Amino acid sequence: MTATIEFNRVSKTYRRLLGGMRVPALNDVSFQVMPGEVCGFLGPNGAGKTTSISILMGFIYADWGRIRVLGHEPGDISAKARIGFVPENFAFYKHLNAEKLLRFHARIAGVAEDRTNALIPELIAKVKLNGYEKLKIGRYSRGMVQRLGIAQSLLADPDLLVMDEPTSGLDPSGRKEVRDVILSLKASGKTIFLSSHLLAEVEQICDQVVIVNRGHLVRTGAMQQLLATGDQVEILASGVNEEVQLLLQERGATVETLPSGVRILVAGAYKREIVERLWAAGFDVLSLRPVKGSLEELYMTLVGGGGAA
Amino acid sequence: MKLRTIALNTFGIFLRDRLLIIFGALFLCVILLMMTPLLTLKGRTTASNMEGMQAYVLQLVAMIMYMVSGAGSLLAAWAAADAVHTEMKSGTILAVMARPVKRWEFMLGKYLGVLLLMACYVVAMVGLSFLLAWIGGQRVQSTLWVLFVYPMVRYAIYASLAALVATVAHPVITWAFTLLLGVGATIVAPGPDEPVSWIGRWIKTALYYVLPSTNFLSEDRFLVIKHAALRQTHWGEHAITLLYGLDYALVLLLLAMWSFHYRSLKRD
Repeated sequence: MTATIEFNRVSKTYRRLLGGMRVPALNDVSFQVMPGEVCGFLGPNGAGKTTSISILMGFIYADWGRIRVLGHEPGDISAKARIGFVPENFAFYKHLNAEKLLRFHARIAGVAEDRTNALIPELIAKVKLNGYEKLKIGRYSRGMVQRLGIAQSLLADPDLLVMDEPTSGLDPSGRKEVRDVILSLKASGKTIFLSSHLLAEVEQICDQVVIVNRGHLVRTGAMQQLLATGDQVEILASGVNEEVQLLLQERGATVETLPSGVRILVAGAYKREIVERLWAAGFDVLSLRPVKGSLEELYMTLVGGGGAA
Repeated sequence: MKLRTIALNTFGIFLRDRLLIIFGALFLCVILLMMTPLLTLKGRTTASNMEGMQAYVLQLVAMIMYMVSGAGSLLAAWAAADAVHTEMKSGTILAVMARPVKRWEFMLGKYLGVLLLMACYVVAMVGLSFLLAWIGGQRVQSTLWVLFVYPMVRYAIYASLAALVATVAHPVITWAFTLLLGVGATIVAPGPDEPVSWIGRWIKTALYYVLPSTNFLSEDRFLVIKHAALRQTHWGEHAITLLYGLDYALVLLLLAMWSFHYRSLKRD
């Protein structure tokens, strides 16, 4: 299967004309995003995220490396016709209203006029801007502009969505709405490349993660694999008495008493035996799940004091 | 469709550009102010001083027209320099260039938007020529298309020159540079004071060919605001002159597109 996004040993250095200062932005970065995946693109400020997205969109050129987007060179119009882009801090023609702006984008995206007429109210409703479609964008709040940005990215029914901080400037309910839109797009099989500082959000939404720091790739892989911490499982049970707790500790389990019950951490090989013993002794097993770390823990381990998440 | 959409949007932005609105308002004030002596002169014209007054009127009308024409070149240069810069500064270019739009299409769309603005200016300018001539008691004698096409080609040259320089420089620098080239072209235009040395003449001639010598494209060459007969011009002369201008504008525009193709697109 061909990757939707392919970065192969990509490097980019910014040069200042006067003074000859060189600022390395990306150094030998390689990763892939496969069709249908939701990929979180993480890193502190100045890590090279926006540079990578700009290269991906064909806004700037890489100095070195091979980049393919939907099987094309970045900036190729065949690829761009299938990409929806949400830039960070969306900027629009302030003299237009939402309806006119969407029409403008639909025209340059080559969407048929009759299709546009049906699509505009649908998208405006999807991002909950109904009633504001005639208001000039210059009078929108930041959150409304961001939502409009998401609406315009969906105009041409894209196969790939590139989102640079799509929830920045949104309040918690706005963030949830955007998250729901992303999840519905994920469910419909779209590939999403999402740059965000909100790690909890990325952990909820993404299948894959790419973490960069100071222009270098520090980790890439499936979310589940990255967050897995060996084969330990966590069992939550209630009413477990001290006698049984001692028995469990003999099996190498770590037992912790919580207000809601007892948390038992045990090697995967013993999980069946322990659960059966608990059931047999008449205790309630509330949950059983593999132990995994959080994305924030992983991020802080990899990036550390490299910048604010 | 894409070009038309970008061009119309650019034109819409110009119509709301504060700087251009101030420019238009100031320009209108100056024109109205300059019309005061024209009206006064007209009022004082009697049978005995008619010839002298007519000469004054013609001189004044010519001066206003010269000013309008020069201001048009400055406007074309500014509009072209600002067209892309405004999008870069606000960041709107990112959302547009994320669409299936080629860089040359974007540049050409912007350029057509500038030409649309200049077309409106030319229409207003031609209207003003007729108005001034009428106030001065004269008649404009010229083929109408000359009054439209010549200034448009001239402004097309200035706009493409500014669009080219604007791909690598700030609009103010671009505007000043274009203005400087325009003044330079006027200085090196053939005239009565030719340099004595052969090298001086050679440099002057070379610069005349290289610089945007738009006085060659001045509609004044074909425009007479008096009762005398219009200068007859062969169609071949029109064609060669206009082709020169269009060729110059096209080369600069292609260079602008080429330069824009390699430019990094980011919010300034």
